[in-house]
Amino acid sequence: MRYYISLLFALIVSTTYAQNGKIRGTVFEKGTGESLVGVTVLLKGTTIGTMSDLDGKFTIETQPGTYDVQLSYISYQTVMLTNVSVKPGEVTILDEVMLQESATELQEIIVTAEAVRKTEAALLTVKKKSAAMLDGISSAKIRLTGDATAVEAAKRVTGVSIEDGKYVYIRGLGDRYSKTTLNQMEIPGLDPDKNSLQMDIFPTNLIDNILVSKNFTADMPADFTGGLLNVETKAFPEERVISVSLSAAFNPSVHLNPDFITYDGGKTDFLGFDDGTRALPSLARENTIPSPVSGNANQEVFDFISSFNSQLGAKTQQSFVDYSAGISLGDQLTIKRKNSNKGVDPKIGYIFSLSYKQEYKLYDDAGYGEYQRFKDPELYDMRYATISEGVIGEKSVLVGILGGLAFKTQFSKIRFTAMRLQNGESRAAQFTIINDGEAVGQSGYKAYSDNLEYNERSLTNLLLHGDHVFGGDKWELDWRISPTRSTSDDPDIRKTAFTETTTSGLNFSSGAGGNPSRIWRSLDETNTSSKIDLTRKYQLFGSEAKTKLGASHNYKNRSYEILSFDMQFYSGQSWPDPDPNTVLIPENIFPNKPNGIYYQSLNNDPNPNEYKSNSTNIAAYISQEFYPVKQLKAILGLRVEDFVMNHTGRDQKYANGDFENGFNLDNEEVLSSTDLFPSVSLIYAITKNQNLRASFTKTIARPSFKELSYAQIIDPITNRIFNGSLFKYPDWDGNLTETRITNADLRWEWFLERGQMLSASGFFKTFDNPIELVRIPEQQTSTEYQPRNVGDGQLYGFELEFRKDLAFISPTMGMFSLSSNLTYVISEIEMSDVEYNSRKGYEKVGETIERKREMAGQSPYVINAGITYANTEIGIDAGLFYNVKGPTLSIVGGGLFPDIYMLPYNSLNFGINKKFGKEGKTIVDLKISNILNERIESVYQSFKAKDETYVNLNPGITFGIGISYMF
Amino acid sequence: MITLIASLAIFSSCKKDEDKTYKSPQVTAPATQDVEAGAAVDMEFPYTSEAGFKSSTVSATNGTATIKTDGTADAKSGTIVVTFTASSNAGAGAVVLTVTDKESQTGNATAVLNVVLEQMTFYVSSNITANTTWETGKVYILQSRIAVVANVTLTIEPGVVVKGEAGAGSNATALLIARGGKIMAEGTADQPIIFTSVADELMPGQIVSPNLSPEVNGLWGGVLILGKARISASNDNGDVSEVQIEGIPTSDPNGLYGGNDDNDNSGVFKYVSIRHGGTNIGSGNEINGLSLGGVGSGTVIENVEIVANQDDGVEWYGGTVNVKNLIVWNVGDDGIDTDQSWSGTVDNFIVYTVTGHNFELDGPEGTYAAGHNIQNGTVVASGLDSDGVLRVSEDLINVDNNSIVNLKNIFITAIQAGQKINRVTAAGVTFEGIELDVTVDALPGHVNGAVPAGVTAGGTSKADASKFTGWTWLDADGKLAGL
Repeated sequence: MRYYISLLFALIVSTTYAQNGKIRGTVFEKGTGESLVGVTVLLKGTTIGTMSDLDGKFTIETQPGTYDVQLSYISYQTVMLTNVSVKPGEVTILDEVMLQESATELQEIIVTAEAVRKTEAALLTVKKKSAAMLDGISSAKIRLTGDATAVEAAKRVTGVSIEDGKYVYIRGLGDRYSKTTLNQMEIPGLDPDKNSLQMDIFPTNLIDNILVSKNFTADMPADFTGGLLNVETKAFPEERVISVSLSAAFNPSVHLNPDFITYDGGKTDFLGFDDGTRALPSLARENTIPSPVSGNANQEVFDFISSFNSQLGAKTQQSFVDYSAGISLGDQLTIKRKNSNKGVDPKIGYIFSLSYKQEYKLYDDAGYGEYQRFKDPELYDMRYATISEGVIGEKSVLVGILGGLAFKTQFSKIRFTAMRLQNGESRAAQFTIINDGEAVGQSGYKAYSDNLEYNERSLTNLLLHGDHVFGGDKWELDWRISPTRSTSDDPDIRKTAFTETTTSGLNFSSGAGGNPSRIWRSLDETNTSSKIDLTRKYQLFGSEAKTKLGASHNYKNRSYEILSFDMQFYSGQSWPDPDPNTVLIPENIFPNKPNGIYYQSLNNDPNPNEYKSNSTNIAAYISQEFYPVKQLKAILGLRVEDFVMNHTGRDQKYANGDFENGFNLDNEEVLSSTDLFPSVSLIYAITKNQNLRASFTKTIARPSFKELSYAQIIDPITNRIFNGSLFKYPDWDGNLTETRITNADLRWEWFLERGQMLSASGFFKTFDNPIELVRIPEQQTSTEYQPRNVGDGQLYGFELEFRKDLAFISPTMGMFSLSSNLTYVISEIEMSDVEYNSRKGYEKVGETIERKREMAGQSPYVINAGITYANTEIGIDAGLFYNVKGPTLSIVGGGLFPDIYMLPYNSLNFGINKKFGKEGKTIVDLKISNILNERIESVYQSFKAKDETYVNLNPGITFGIGISYMF
Repeated sequence: MITLIASLAIFSSCKKDEDKTYKSPQVTAPATQDVEAGAAVDMEFPYTSEAGFKSSTVSATNGTATIKTDGTADAKSGTIVVTFTASSNAGAGAVVLTVTDKESQTGNATAVLNVVLEQMTFYVSSNITANTTWETGKVYILQSRIAVVANVTLTIEPGVVVKGEAGAGSNATALLIARGGKIMAEGTADQPIIFTSVADELMPGQIVSPNLSPEVNGLWGGVLILGKARISASNDNGDVSEVQIEGIPTSDPNGLYGGNDDNDNSGVFKYVSIRHGGTNIGSGNEINGLSLGGVGSGTVIENVEIVANQDDGVEWYGGTVNVKNLIVWNVGDDGIDTDQSWSGTVDNFIVYTVTGHNFELDGPEGTYAAGHNIQNGTVVASGLDSDGVLRVSEDLINVDNNSIVNLKNIFITAIQAGQKINRVTAAGVTFEGIELDVTVDALPGHVNGAVPAGVTAGGTSKADASKFTGWTWLDADGKLAGL
């Protein structure tokens, strides 16, 4: 290991000995925004030159001095960049050199080197010319906003909204209709209940850019509708980079607070994983666990119970501040050949990035509620069944490591990256729970609960990526292989609730606050993705045309398991000093009396709360990009996907040993379909800077692993029971099918100089057989859901985006830039009969129940706005950013149970950074988040009734400071 | 590059490694079971074999064994069924099954059997779908939640002991009489039918458990009887409907109850003692000792004792059934719990040291409203358990504002400070002859609100204890004395 480290340093150090300087640049075709291969680059007046490679990149090494750089290419106007200075041991970067096609070839365009150093424009060029409607954010912008994780960065993108601080939704469409890829490859999610990936585990210093495609083209996976978000990890630096950054954040109500609540974890908690402190004792996996009734000796039972972690209560401990640290290093090394003045030398690039973050959250007046509606049509207000109020403390650690190596010749590039993300979140909460016995199905009690949780997530991703051009640049072959393994474990979720009795103080009551319980939950998913794309460029109808074809293979395999244990009392209970942390002292453990604590297993063998699923998706596509007439670009595509899903799992009945009436699936096929996905996109250039785009596509949303099963899973947090769709009910045939979606989009966009732009879009989508979670009306005392195809849905929406600087007021005001994007959506879905009838049964006086309602998870609007200030002379960048999404129906109610809406969270954040030193190598940044001190709120809503709390949390205002230094 | 290839190999583990060593076959033996002399029994041996199944052999002691269904060639897992035919001699027997894999590795398992002259213990693992009789003097072990399905009758003869295996959640055991199914459990005062846990060493003929104290609860589920009588559920579509009984997932349609046949007959349930149950069946739902969902008035329920159930003693969910001669002792939650407009009568009862509410009486949940009568009973509101721990009920009587119930001739004794009748203002609740065993001065302190005319201080036991002598554990424990 030490050897490799020294080798790494040798590589870094060796470059510093070079006395020559370097010029690095990228050449683009002005018309298409694509990189140009094979452009001749020459230092005027010398014989030193090279050619651009398949990424349009070139490097020239030369002695220090000032040069004129000439770029020439057949049938293009030659460009001369004047006054390019080269300093010893440094790299001069010419980021975007544009070459324009010319019939005459005679003219030479002279540009000063400064003019090509603009950055943000790159993304805009790609955006302007791409077949899909793209939006995105680059690492440069992320640095300005100071966002620490991908989730915070992504919400700057048009139409993107965030849920639960983790999930990224596009155009306000719910989880089911968004998709996330990593380096264009599928990756497994980390939540068994969601389709989308938890984005909060990607530290921004591993990210190069985030791009969102809002419409489908044949080369993308077909299972998204709202948007496809791609996270591109860091590529190879243009110059040698060694940067170190440190930052800290302070929230007056959270940090350095002696009342922060937490619990003792293991020795490796600070690295984001548990060291076994929370592990399930191995005997607990046995069919029969030692208990007073298992036939084991008393001592064996005692030892078994004692083998569990005895901490059940939260404790207060002063919190520290949030802090993070990151280091990145990378470089490109040229492998010198003889006579290397002409042509392109092969290059090796490497990158290594490490980031560490520790964060605290404290919600000191958190509230959760369960509310019901009255049957009486004249009683409008809702009544509570259960209210929980208390304190939640969270401590999370995020570690990210990325390493990459690439080898590049002029026409070929092969890169390999490996990434590991590790996240551990420890959570302690104390609640007072009040249950109203008058509410339907409730028994009425007051309890004091301590909850201890730990969630450990990891993602390991490898990528092998090759890109080759041949035949000049007429052919391009791109292939990728990317295996990923992700895990999400919740070891030892502990809930200990003392119930208050009027007559015997506090004790445990199974029918009220419940007996103490502990749960182990784990998810493990592997994913192997590979794809190959072949592109051919040629002339058709006198213009550039492109044919693209490709194939991909994606295999996913998930296993999921929940194991639960309840504490029982073998004799009467006596708690003279009710403290959750003394519940498991030896005197209370069986066979000691009173109390006689022992564990009861809630797990059958086989376990109905366990499943394994896998899916295989084989796809192939062809697409044709051409100009039927001069100003109209057409992209026609057709994709075919063959999808098969298999499931292994069983229902409770089977798990109980009733093989006759129970259901069991042993790797059986639950879904199989072959679909064709056509896509048509038209881009009409109204003027040089204005496009009109139209697209028409078909896409799909497939049921998740859990949905196509006989799973009967009790969510330990909400106590809601999930039933797989395969169970038949009188009003459900047990056949859950995919949702097929038709999309139409229209967009007008106007690109102005200095990266300014304006665009307006409209979109329309129809959903055939959409899937929603339907509450099963037969069950009243607990909440059971089943995913079902409900009535057809549709939505239409409007988007507006602009970016404008204030140079029109005065040149100094040009340093200010305003940007905003707004998405407005109207959606509707046909209610199922079950839902309609249940709503009708609880119709209030004056209320009219319609057959249609908005789609669950669909926000009516999303607004992002920002004002930025950039003064390169004094090295200051600053920005004020606002983000909000409209009230969103998050859980569909009906009948007794009201609908739950997530209320707008008006997020206002400020960030400023200043570069110090002659070369601006030190950057200090300050930021303030949640300036408006908004609360995170979800509420129950019912006709004419006051809103009641479902979730209410106060994140508070956070002040942050950071420093980074580039060597 | 080597690291890269290695990593890829790890991830794409589907590729076979030629030099792999395989785990030898693993065979699992079925649980010990009884078999009658000369009788044959099929036994299932699950196996796993990494290298693939090749062959199996079987040997037996105290009987003969043959392979009925062999493993599948090359299979990595499966089940082998062996038929064991017992000899004519009582005593221990065994079956050894050996599996050989394609790599010629072997694995084996030994199943133990008891050859008995007459089988006395029976395991019940799946729903009862044909008329069945459980016979006097025998023990029946519930291995899961067993439903007696519609149009099927389960007859339980006097003196039968039914034991539930341990477990909670989906693992809980219970006996469920589905709507349209029937139970004919007619015990007698000499030979009551007893439902208890497998942990209980009690055998037919015994009343008192030799090893469990009468506080031990939550060891198994309970008994649920469901019928077609009216219920007042706040079902989303209105009143006349069916709902799912608490604790049974909706995917099991045997958990539905309710209808419009108020005279529905679910059978006879007499001289039955249900003990040590009430395990958590999932999401905060426990099973009551006896749950009666939409049970019709054609059903006979008399002489029932519930001891040490973790949840309620008896809970009615609508329906019209009457219950006579009931004891609820040492349960962890409510003694008598009514919901969804049960419209029947409970007559002659004792509620003894429960730790929830003695009476948890709720009103209608739909627009259909009907009431019930609770009469002629004695409540012991507190007392020491066998370990000397004080057991106290939450209050004396608990009604909701919309409850409809006539409370008549009830004596409540062993009242502690703080125990109250929670509400006297509910329009549908009447108090008649309710006697609290406290002084006249103390009486207002045990009533939340103005003391109604029907509630007085002093009094004597109202239950007819003679109905409980001989067949109840409460009697055997000496607790009937003085009542």
